[in-house]
Amino acid sequence: MSTNANQQRPFSLRLRLIVLAVLLLTVSLGLVGFSLDAAFHKSSVVSLQTRMESLVYLVLAATEVTEDGILKVDDDPGDPRLGQPGSGIYAVVQGDDQQWFSSSSLGVSLPELAQISAGESDFLPPVPALDFYSFQYGVSWELQAGGLLPVTVTILVAPQELAKEVGAFRAGLWRSLGVTGLILVLAQMLLLALGLRPLRRIAQDISGVESGKLERLEDNYPKELEPLKRNLNHLLDTEKANQTRYRNALDSLAHSLKTPLSVIRSSLPSVPSSKTQVMENAVTDMQRLIATRLQRAAASTRRSIAQAVDVNAQVKRVVQALTRVYSQKLISIDVMIGPELAFYGEQRDLLELAGNLLDNACKYGNGKVHLSAQAIDASDPRVGIRLQVDDNGPGIAPDQREKLLQRGVRGDERVEGHGLGLAIVLEIVSAYNGEITISQGDLGGARVSVTLITR
Amino acid sequence: MRILLVEDDVDLQTSLAEILRAAGYAVDVSGDGIEGLFYGEEYALDLAIIDLGLPGMSGLELIRKLRERERRFPILILTARAEWQDKVEGLESGADDYLTKPFHPEELKARVGALLRRSAGHAKPVVELGSLKIDLVSQRVFNGEQEIELTTYEYKVFEYLLMHPDEVVTKSVLSEHMYEEDADRDSNVIEVFVGRLRKKIDPQGVTNPIETLRGRGYRLNRPLQSD
Repeated sequence: MSTNANQQRPFSLRLRLIVLAVLLLTVSLGLVGFSLDAAFHKSSVVSLQTRMESLVYLVLAATEVTEDGILKVDDDPGDPRLGQPGSGIYAVVQGDDQQWFSSSSLGVSLPELAQISAGESDFLPPVPALDFYSFQYGVSWELQAGGLLPVTVTILVAPQELAKEVGAFRAGLWRSLGVTGLILVLAQMLLLALGLRPLRRIAQDISGVESGKLERLEDNYPKELEPLKRNLNHLLDTEKANQTRYRNALDSLAHSLKTPLSVIRSSLPSVPSSKTQVMENAVTDMQRLIATRLQRAAASTRRSIAQAVDVNAQVKRVVQALTRVYSQKLISIDVMIGPELAFYGEQRDLLELAGNLLDNACKYGNGKVHLSAQAIDASDPRVGIRLQVDDNGPGIAPDQREKLLQRGVRGDERVEGHGLGLAIVLEIVSAYNGEITISQGDLGGARVSVTLITR
Repeated sequence: MRILLVEDDVDLQTSLAEILRAAGYAVDVSGDGIEGLFYGEEYALDLAIIDLGLPGMSGLELIRKLRERERRFPILILTARAEWQDKVEGLESGADDYLTKPFHPEELKARVGALLRRSAGHAKPVVELGSLKIDLVSQRVFNGEQEIELTTYEYKVFEYLLMHPDEVVTKSVLSEHMYEEDADRDSNVIEVFVGRLRKKIDPQGVTNPIETLRGRGYRLNRPLQSD
């Protein structure tokens, strides 16, 4: 993944879903809270009104007007809060110019109240001029002497009474809404973890394909991921098929060119002349071109999803093959490779590299060959491998080394002998962005070291 | 020495057969794998040269089948596929050496000679038999410094016996390995060749390296001092 993609990478699905869920929950729980709060406030005002109305009747029952029109109210109308000073509930009875105040109003300055006409009742919420809930009820008292005494009973309730009640409710409400929200968010995270698990599984499987543990995605995934799986498998198959087709094309090209070249060569007169030499050189050049160009084309088809190749096993195959071919020459090939070493490239490239290097060492050495291989980075085997082949032959002179490692040098300009095999090795190494060096080895002969970078 | 050549390209088949015959081998040719397998099983062969890309049955398959059927003669692969993957697979199937196209005819002859010598247990191309020195590459025979002139068939008889020392070789085996399938054979001719060969390599009749086992055939006895 490039750094550019990293910079613009969108937020993770999980973060998105959680942030959205929190926002949605806050808004909806907030709305629920506000409407519950409003409803509760409304119903407590209504119940306050009812309570005040019943207090009016209580006070009215304790009220009496004497024959001569004197207003008398029992000091204990039957509610203890009316007798308790500063209780917040006050009763006022007015009859023309007479007034009675409940004992709870002691020390409390009550505002001037207007009388209302008989038969009317009036409930008012607090206003700036009158900072109380007030309920007034007007009656008219029939006097024995004839005439009517208009009486107004007023109950005043300080707004703190209601505020206390509403406040307690509100605190409880928001606390429980908060707890509910928290539980919902946690549940959401759990749901996400469970819901996104198939995604995590498919990601694991894809990295399994990458590391070569799996050929394709074979697991069963939820319905929504099936198209993804299908497309990925299709991609893998297409890639494989393309590669095979490409290889086959190269292969048949090589085959169809080389047989006629063999015919030309075997038809040349066995007595060499300058003419046969010209043809011989042309055939040699063509042979070299086919070997290096076709090999380069094949090497450049490195798979993007490389599977692990067991280096030890492949090198052993080459060693066995060479032991068979060189069974007349006493050759001992020592191989030092950790059993776990894996190469994340093409198996045929590894075989080709080891084959050519070991073949040269067998051909030009004196029977002792040593091959060792390690991972370039021990902590990350995907980075690549380093391979080193030593022989006990005459070695390669320093001034020839340079020449041998030049790419694209024409056949007859190259140093004879190591030529073709090393030319192929060069093509492979450059296809893997690796390095190649020739030096003097511990066995006294040539040492060829190559690196193949697979990341 | 009798060689089977399985190669589907007619031009290459013809010119290789010519080159091998000129080098003194009896050559049977086939253009496809199935026929090649039949020849490989039926004929008394000393070596097979098999092209990998064959119609009918692939070269690898042919080699595998021959080895399954206990045919032990050396096999040289001819292949246009120069990659090690293919070489390794060919050698794993049971071949003994490979030659990638396009090759020099000289290289082919050298490999064939080396494989034949190897299967007879001779590491070096020059075999010593008492005072005789036989150069298997140039096909010349020396007694000390003196070269002995042999005809092609005398040499073929001698070479076959040298490749199978201390073994009883019947006249019919000798003729099978010296002639191609459609040649006229007469085992009396073999007697004549052996008689002439004896006179040439042992004129005094002292060492008698080729022993006649009455009614059974011939045996080349190696003198004790030779390895």
